This record gives sequence, structure tokens and C-alpha cells, in this order.
Amino acid sequence: MAEQQKFFEVIKSGTDVDFIGTKKYWIGVSIFLVLLTFVMLPINAFVLKDRGHVLNWGVDFKGGTELVVEFSKPVQASQVRAALSAAGLHNADVVKYGSVNTNLSFMIRLGAVSILSDEQAKHVETALARVGDASLRKFESSEGGDKIYLRFDKNLEPKAIAAALQTAGTESTDVQPFGPTQDSTYEVTLIGMDSMVRKALDAKLGAGTVKEIPQVSSVGAKAGKQLQVDGVRALLGAILLIVIYVAFRFDFRYGPGTIVALLHDAIITVGAFAVTYREFSLTTLAAILTIIGFSMNDTIVVFDRIRENAAKYRDRKFDKVVNHAINETLSRTILTSATVFFVTLAMNIFGIGVIRDFAFAMNVGVIVGTYSSIFIASPILIWLNDKYLALQKRQSARPERNVRKPIRRDEEEATEP
Amino acid sequence: MERSWWWKAALYGAAIVLAVLYLVPTVAPNAELPSFFHNYFNKRIQLGLDLKGGLHLVYEVNIEKAVAGKVDRLANDVEDAVKKKGADVTVTRSGRDDITLTFKLPAEMAKLDDEVLKPFRRELDVVSRDPANGTVKLKYDADRVAEVEELALRQAIETIRGRVDKFGVAEPTIIKKGTDIVVELPGAKAAEFERIKSIIGRTAQLEFKIVDDGSEYMKKVAALVPKDGPISVVPESWTEKHSGTQHEDVYLRAKEKDRDALNKFIAGLTGDLAVPNDREIALELMSPREVTEGTPDRYYRTYYLKKRAGVTGEYLAMADESWDEMGRPEVAFTMNRQGANMMEKLTGENVGRKMAVILDDKITSAPVIESKIGERGRITMGGYGDPFKLQQEVKDLVGVLRSGALPAPLKKSFETQVGATMGQDAIDKAKVSMGIGALAVILFMLIYYRVAGFIANLAMTLNMLFMIAILAAFEASLTLPGIAGLVLTIGMAVDSNIIIYERIREELRLGKSPRTAVDAGFQRAFWTVFDAHVTNFVAGIVLYSYGSGPIRGFAVTLLVGIITNLLTSVWISHWMFDILVNRRGTVRTTLSI
Repeated sequence: MAEQQKFFEVIKSGTDVDFIGTKKYWIGVSIFLVLLTFVMLPINAFVLKDRGHVLNWGVDFKGGTELVVEFSKPVQASQVRAALSAAGLHNADVVKYGSVNTNLSFMIRLGAVSILSDEQAKHVETALARVGDASLRKFESSEGGDKIYLRFDKNLEPKAIAAALQTAGTESTDVQPFGPTQDSTYEVTLIGMDSMVRKALDAKLGAGTVKEIPQVSSVGAKAGKQLQVDGVRALLGAILLIVIYVAFRFDFRYGPGTIVALLHDAIITVGAFAVTYREFSLTTLAAILTIIGFSMNDTIVVFDRIRENAAKYRDRKFDKVVNHAINETLSRTILTSATVFFVTLAMNIFGIGVIRDFAFAMNVGVIVGTYSSIFIASPILIWLNDKYLALQKRQSARPERNVRKPIRRDEEEATEP
Repeated sequence: MERSWWWKAALYGAAIVLAVLYLVPTVAPNAELPSFFHNYFNKRIQLGLDLKGGLHLVYEVNIEKAVAGKVDRLANDVEDAVKKKGADVTVTRSGRDDITLTFKLPAEMAKLDDEVLKPFRRELDVVSRDPANGTVKLKYDADRVAEVEELALRQAIETIRGRVDKFGVAEPTIIKKGTDIVVELPGAKAAEFERIKSIIGRTAQLEFKIVDDGSEYMKKVAALVPKDGPISVVPESWTEKHSGTQHEDVYLRAKEKDRDALNKFIAGLTGDLAVPNDREIALELMSPREVTEGTPDRYYRTYYLKKRAGVTGEYLAMADESWDEMGRPEVAFTMNRQGANMMEKLTGENVGRKMAVILDDKITSAPVIESKIGERGRITMGGYGDPFKLQQEVKDLVGVLRSGALPAPLKKSFETQVGATMGQDAIDKAKVSMGIGALAVILFMLIYYRVAGFIANLAMTLNMLFMIAILAAFEASLTLPGIAGLVLTIGMAVDSNIIIYERIREELRLGKSPRTAVDAGFQRAFWTVFDAHVTNFVAGIVLYSYGSGPIRGFAVTLLVGIITNLLTSVWISHWMFDILVNRRGTVRTTLSI
């Protein structure tokens, strides 16, 4: 027989906190946070003037262009904004980029994907109404925004078209005939947003101010919408698959609690992004999917113990069994969450760009995920168990009506450990 | 120790050695190792686009335009066929797939009979005939629309692949995702982004145009060329093989660097000397090896072309490398039925003349038509240059002909371009955060679980080793989110050990001996750990199928990490515990956990 060992413990063994008894307070907090999320979304969109969207969508969801610009001398965000505005790039979102506080590198987000805004397109169309002796029959700009198609009534030299475009204030990299020659249709490839931004900034802040534009990404508005829809679908799909697995490994009573807990985690994480108005990008969504997988870890640890104890102490009340199981597993729940929390916190503090957003989402998600397995998933399990027992009692009160009942009971006992 | 322990030791040891071997090419790419080693272990982790720099583009194929173009051509064919029967008709396309024929005399409507429609019956359906107004409405068959769409997408991917291969980017990825085409060019130079984008997105057209040789116009133009300038006038002549007819022509030539002067001269032709509306002057860049007299520099020469393209690349069915009687490489191509008819007509009328093969407005070659070309044709490459270079040229042309024109314009829906400096910065930052995260976890585990913590740390290190080795073996790309996945795995790796250790502590508290407690702890906690891994795995799979690019990189590291973690934190650490509790000769009463 081994002597009783002492361990280094954060949570002393034998801790007995009444989580279930005080559940209504905890559930109250959760409901408050979920409601706060749902209230915050329209507030962002309609009340707070400087926000304007339900979430601070990244370009991958909203559509637009995102550039990282490195300057050769320190500049102010307001100067950058003014320079862009002067070139017709209004409402640019300019924030400092990188952890070094030097005003040398900025992230610029623009709503446009193409250098051709709607008004500029109209202007170009009028300006090109006649080129040489040919008149414009059709003007079409592609939705992706990097090309325009021009149909004239006569064939033209591509160079003449490029020159006419230049005069109208739109620069192109390439003009060439499109389709059969007799169509007199020309395909114009416009310069990219990065070239346009570089020009605009150099024009106002002095030539050579822009050292480099190391990163550019642009997403068409339609593709962004599609990503949003796909994202929600992926999220719900993941939850559904996990719940099916849980229902299969445990039993159906354990399913609904996990659904609610997972939705709870996803919603509150989104809420954190709504309140802080941090950029919500594809990476954030990846983080939420990770959180869902991870939040289940805690829930499974607790549920596993509940199932084990429920089989061991059949005479105890179920809610006491649950509370006891939560306490028994409390130290591992807290420790596992803490390790992941600190690792992601390091990423949040020392990381860069997307890594930071990812880490922030994980930080929030890990806390909420731990909380939800104790205060959301478990109470729902108790409630469902009570309903289930009540249903069984009602059924056994009228045995002659239900011939199959005894068989079902046997099955039930066979699957219940 | 039990015998099974030794078996496990051998197995795990072999796995570790294998993992290390797989890591060698990644860690020490320049190490001097025997060649047999490189034959087996040459795969290494690639840096993803966001770390290495490069271009990520997503294009949507404008399928509407592809269909409209197809319907336009059918409309032309129907018009020709009806006009051949002597009816006066105007044919218009409305919407995307409706064709309306309006006969000047309603009575002539009968001329659009089954015989005329027969060649089109699989593609066009007659919707209505209105004898009063003399209009007939035709509609493009709906099944065909789907076919055109499918074809357009497939052809677009092939075309892009053909073009991308020319950039010499190490590992381009071109894949179809729904109706989108995703192009990834890691390592592309920032300075070339604009050019690459313009080439990929170009709706290249392959055309065959007839050279109008011996024209009075070119003689007049040639007379205008200033002497001693950069432009020279060169006469050329050739004999028709079969009939022996002599062809004579003049062309203008300028050295490669004087291209602008040549262009300027041509652009300056106005008034009486302006290029006629149905003609054009195009340039071809000639290499020295194609010149018998041996001019050392490359130069441009002009061709005076009939503007209307006789045949376009869309009728091309196949192109392949081939060799002529002399054993010189050439390109053999096959046209489809319709194209063969057109080609036959075009070449039949122009035997002995030159036919310019034009891609993207640039003449790639202009061979003499020696006989009527029908379904099959050959493009010979002139000159007597280096046979290897010639071979290469033929390969290139085959590639161009095969990839040909984009069937429809591309719409760019996504774009990410990352410069190389950005990537380096990201790698440095990621290293710091990864190091700090790992260090915090290692210290915590040592303080909290002492010897057992050491085992957990060892297991975590092995987990990293296996993970990176597997990523290397699959030649996976490491992206920024992928690094986040690695860091996250550090956190999750110790989680499984925490769950197991807490269970072991519980067993010890019940008064069990260390040996039984360890076995019971691992056994009881296994299913908890397993379930947790499965749920994470499910989330990872969903993430993989939803995301693209960097997100996929994250999902891959997550999935690989989950599998290796199960191995290291459950089985390998259990095996290490066996050393701790089973030491020969002594019975342990306490466990450092």
C-alpha cells in the first residue's frame, strides 16, 4: 500500500463548489452575453457612425482591397487618408501596421476592387464616346474590376484607345482586340489598385515616399458574400457532425447540451469581435471552428465523468452526480484551458497580422468554451434527464398499452454503463 | 521490463529515426550526404505563399460570354446558310441564347427549311415561326449551354496552366473550385506581379491570317523608308512547290532595339498611305538562327496581312509535336470538322502564299502554304538553328496551340500578393510567439508535474518532430495560419497528458500503487482523450473543406497534429511511464507526478 502522496495542485482535491445549485446566475450571465452580441450587431451597423457594419468584416468577407504600405519616411494616417481622397479613393481605412510604433508602415483598406469607380466609369464612357473616327457602341466593365470591354463601330489601334483612356484619367497596362476582328471589340486591362495607391501617395507626399507595397489582397463583393454564406454553413455543419458523434458515443441526452454550448461559444466569440470591432476575417472564422472543436474537449471530459459516476452512484440524485463530476474534473478543465490560453496569448501579444486575430479569437473562445461546458452543457443535460425520467415513469404507469416497453427497457440498460 | 515494452521501444525508436531522416532535407538542405539518401529523402516543407511571397489569384470564368460567343458564331453560320439560298435576312442575337431571323420578304421564310437547319439541329431549336412578319426565333439548346460552360471552365484551366508554366515559377497550383479557378504562384517576384496578372487574365486569341504578298501598297510604303535609318527594306521571294509560281514581296525590318522606330513609322502612315481598312501590318520577332545570311541581332520584320482572321484557334482540336521528312521538328495540328472546312477554304484559295499564325496579336510564325490544308495541318519552323532550340520552340508552340485562347474572359474575384520581405517578418514574429508559448508550457508542466511533466514535455517534443516530419513527407506548405496550428498543437499536446495525469493522481489518492495507478489512469482516460481528439478532427475536416489557401494550411497542421498527438501523448508517454514505475528490482512507492 502506497503512502498518501501530496501533489502540487491549483484546485485542491475534494473541492466541492455548488455549480449546479447556482446555475441560474451563470446561465443569466451567458444569456446576457449572447443578448449583448445580438444587440451589438445592429448597434454597430446603425448607431455607431464610425463603425457602420455589424462586424468589422475583413476584405475577404466584405470585398475590397487591403494593402500594406511601407513608407520611406514617417507619415500620419490622416495624411495618407487625405492623399488617397485627393485621388478619388474616398473612405479609406488607414491603420498602423506591425508592432513597431514608427509610423512607417500602414494597412490601408479600400472598398473598391478596381481603379474604376462607378463615377469614374461613367466619366470614361463619356470621354471615349468618340475615339478618332470611331464611336463607342458598348461599354462594359467586368465585375472583378480589372478589365473593361469596349465595342466600337470601327476598328481602332489599341494604342489610340490606351491614349484616350489616359486622357480620361484611367491607366491601363494592356489594350488588345477581343473576339473576331469584325467585332471591333477591345479588352482593356487596367492597372492594379496597388499602382494606383502608390501613385496617389507619391503625388501628395512626395515621390519615393512609398518604399514598398509588400502585401495586397482584393476580393470581389460577390465572392465575399459567398464566403459569408459558406462560413455559416461550415460552422453549422461542424456543430452538427460533432453532436452526432457525441450522441453516438454517449447517448442522445448528451446531444442538445453540446449543441447549445457550441452555439453559445461561437456567438459570444463573434460578440467579442462586435464589441472590440476587431477585423473579422477568414482567419477569425477558422479560429471559431477550432474553438468549437476545442470547446468540446472540456465538455467531453465533464460528460465522461458524469457518465462514469452516474453508473457508479445510481442511488444519488442526478444533479448531485453532475455537480460532483464537475468538481472532480475541475482541475483538469482549468489546466487544459489554461495551457491553450497562455499559448494563444503569446501569439496574441507577439504575433503579427492574421495570427493576432486568430489568437484573440482563441483567447475568448477558450474561456467561453470552458465556461459553457460547466454552466451550459451540464444543466441542459440534467434538464433533459429529468424529462426523460418523467417520460419513462409515465410510460411504465400504463404497461398494458405498450407491449414493446420491456424490450426497450432492456435495450436501454444494455447501452447504459 | 516486459517483453512488450522492448517491442514498443523498437517501434517507437524506428519511428523517431524515420522522422529525423525525413526532416534532414528541410533542416539541412545543403548537407553533403550520400546520393542514395537523397533518392529516398528528398521531400521538404515548402513555405506557403504568405511566408515566401507570391501571388494567389481566384478567377471566375465569365461563362455568359462564352455562351454568347458561341451563339454569335452559330447566328453567323445560319445567316450564311440562308443567304446561300438567296434569301435576304438579318440575324440578331437577343439575350444570351436567342437568335432571331428577320426575312425582308416574309415569303422567303420557307427557305429556312429542314435542309438548311439540318447541320444545326443538335444545337438550335426552332421556337416559333411568324409568317406575318417573316421572323423566326431560334434558341440555343439548353443541354448545350451546360456543355459549353463545362468546356469553357476546363479549357480555361488548361489555358492558364499553359501560360503559368512559362513564368518558371517553381510550384504553381491551378485548381478548379466550383466554377472558380484558383491560381497560386508561390515565390513569384513582386516586380512581376502586374505582368503575370496581365498575362494570365488575357483572353488570348489564336488566329490564322493570310499574308497579302506582292501588294502595291507595301511597295509604296517601302519607297518611303528613309535610307540609312534604323529601318531597312528587304525583298524576299519564294517559289511555289507544285506550280512553280514565283512570289515576290518586300518587308520592313528593324533591329530588336529599334522596334519603336518601326512602330512609329507604321503609325505615321496616314492619308493616301494609311493602312487599308481590311489590311493590317503585324510584326514578328525573328531570331538570328532563322536567317541564312547570319545577322547577329534579333530583329523585327513586318507582314502585310488580311485583317479578317480566316480561322481562329477555337476550331483547333489537337496539336502535337511531329517531324518532317528531314527529321526537323514541326507542329502537327488537327482541326475539328467545322474548322477543317474553314481551313480548307482559306488555304485552298491561298496556296503559295504565307499564312501567319498569330497568338495574342503576335505572329509566332508565317509558313508558306504548300498545299491545301484540311483537317490536318503542319506548321514548320523555319531556319537551320540549333536543333535543340528548335525542338524547344516546337514544344512551346504546341503548348500555346493546345492551351490556345481563353474560351471566355476571366473575372478576378480574389487576389493576394505578398512580397518576400513581408514573409520574412512574419516568420520572425511567428518564431518568437511559438518559442514563448512553448517555453511557458514546458516550464508549467515541469513545475506542476515534475518528472511526469518532463515526460509530457518529451512527448510534446516528439509530437512536434513527427508533425513536422509528416508535413515534410507530404511536401505540405507551411503558411502563417499553419504556424498558428503548430503552436496550438503545443497547447493541445500537453492537454491530453494533463487529463491522464489528473486521473492518475485520483487513482493514487485512492491509495493504489504507482504501477496500478498509471495503468488505470491511462486506461480510463483513454476514451476521454480519444473522444476529444475525434471532435477536434471533425472540426479540422470541416475547416479543410471550407477554407482555401492559408486556411487549408492551418487545417492540415491541425489534422496531422491530432493524429501524432494521440500517438505521443497516449502511447509513447505510457511507455515512458513504464520505465518510471517498472524499474527492475525496486518497487516504487511514490510517483513524481
